[in-house]
Amino acid sequence: MTTPMVEARGVHKSYGGVEVLKGVDLTVVRGEVTCLIGPSGSGKSTLLRCINHLEKHDAGELRVDGDLVGYEARGGKLYERSDKQICAERSQIGMVFQRFNLFQHLTVLENITIGQIKVKGVEPEAARAKARTLLARVGLEGKEQHYPSQISGGQQQRVAIARALAMDPKLMLFDEPTSALDPELVGEVLDVMKDLAASGMTMIVVTHEMNFAREVANSIYFLDGGVIEESGNPRDVLSAPGTERLRSFLSKVL
Amino acid sequence: MTENGDATVKVVPVRHVGQWIAAAFALLLVAMLVHTLFSKLGTGVYSCRLASGIRRCHQIREWRFSWDIVRRYFFTSEILHGLLVTLELTALAMLIGVLLGVLVAVMRLSSNRLLSSLAWTYTWFFRGTPVLVQIVVWYNIAILYPSLSLGIPFSHLTAVHFMTKTVITAYVASIVALGLNEAAYMSEIARAGLISVEEGQTEAAMALGMTRPQTLRSIVLPQAMRVIIPPTGNELISMLKTTSLVSTIGVVDLLGAATNIYSVNFLIMPLLIVASLWYIAVTTVLSVGQFYLERHFAKGALRTPPPTPIQRLRRDLKGIVSNFRIRRRPAEAVR
Repeated sequence: MTTPMVEARGVHKSYGGVEVLKGVDLTVVRGEVTCLIGPSGSGKSTLLRCINHLEKHDAGELRVDGDLVGYEARGGKLYERSDKQICAERSQIGMVFQRFNLFQHLTVLENITIGQIKVKGVEPEAARAKARTLLARVGLEGKEQHYPSQISGGQQQRVAIARALAMDPKLMLFDEPTSALDPELVGEVLDVMKDLAASGMTMIVVTHEMNFAREVANSIYFLDGGVIEESGNPRDVLSAPGTERLRSFLSKVL
Repeated sequence: MTENGDATVKVVPVRHVGQWIAAAFALLLVAMLVHTLFSKLGTGVYSCRLASGIRRCHQIREWRFSWDIVRRYFFTSEILHGLLVTLELTALAMLIGVLLGVLVAVMRLSSNRLLSSLAWTYTWFFRGTPVLVQIVVWYNIAILYPSLSLGIPFSHLTAVHFMTKTVITAYVASIVALGLNEAAYMSEIARAGLISVEEGQTEAAMALGMTRPQTLRSIVLPQAMRVIIPPTGNELISMLKTTSLVSTIGVVDLLGAATNIYSVNFLIMPLLIVASLWYIAVTTVLSVGQFYLERHFAKGALRTPPPTPIQRLRRDLKGIVSNFRIRRRPAEAVR
């Protein structure tokens, strides 16, 4: 059996005395889509941010592609990785944010090329060619010279996905990618994500879109109060919730 | 409008009588002021000549604002040289101010407590003392540190050694004093700019694998510029005139040159006007530069950038022309 893409064992995280993650276990298999669901404040986003080390977890073991996140184990000790090593790790993990976070001062094309050029040292011309291909893939040809403020939320989020894909990530993290969108724009973003899942990308998606989770996810995790309450096959978890908490959560979102 | 179903109905705008009266009154005051600017004063000196046996005299009258003398001194080499010194001081002091100010701002925002308190103390000290005092102190710094040397701290090993007086001339003291003082103000401006950029921008850059310096340089600073530039333009213009303080330690800047001249010939007002006109001229150029710089850094922040004055003029002219055409059409339609 190959190593899982992401493996979490007893991950803890506190913010100033408030424990947000209280020992989370999670396994993400390569090429699969994992959805994290749960009420707000349950620690879904925090878990996601720990995986690409935007947040430092306090305790527990967190591995991406077999390597510990943020640390190196040598001779029975854990050595904190340097900023440079952490940046190298992050560059292989794509992240899509709830509020898109496109670089406002750069055009759509520049948003997609800047990571390639600055981080991977790709030649500008090659970076632009790749950016155009990716824009076509997310259905946004012809928007190259627009600024983020000139396009709709759904279009911005598709650009954000293209920006993340430009780094050739081995793992994509989505932090409530459709929560800030007008209802009629949700579909276009989910369609792009479905295509991406079909192409075999490993994805972790924090979402409130239960239909998307049911349709696309290979496994689903229900977080509540910083612990995984339930997990498994989406059909089983969503149609036959085993706990009262999940039942009441689903009755609110469905 | 809708009754007739077309746009030919005449719309009568509200008449603002009060505004008209106020405007007319303001216009009157302006006219009076302009008149005094270009009026003449009697000197008490008469010029006389004989014409067909009769002596005719008339009083010599001169410009109230001595425009002829102003014109005579406006382009003299002393004044131009002083202007050059003023521009040099402004540019160098602002350069130090901006670079050091950004550094202090970044330090202030650092998670390292020592760095951020150092930055705070720097701002506190240099904002807390008058800039004129700082200029004089730097000019006399040799009293405190008669010699300067570079070497290993707390030992007697030195690589370079020189007398302070030879290095810190009045000119150097001016640049250092103005630059360090400006950095304290610029650091607060830069800090405001940096914290105005959304946290998400930094996070997105970090998620791409960019390092902190890369994120600062390519993502945060360019967006912070939009907030930083207007007050920096203000600082630049303010600096242009603050440099005139250096005439107190003997640097011959624009004001220094004017003072040197009028202390000999007592043409105080004309020379102060010469200096002031030059300050205003440079300020005007800087303001125009600021407008275009702001426009450049507004990229992406506004859906439609504001028009340049030239674009606006062109648009207005076009508007007048098309307005004229529209007015004529209904008349033709009636026919």
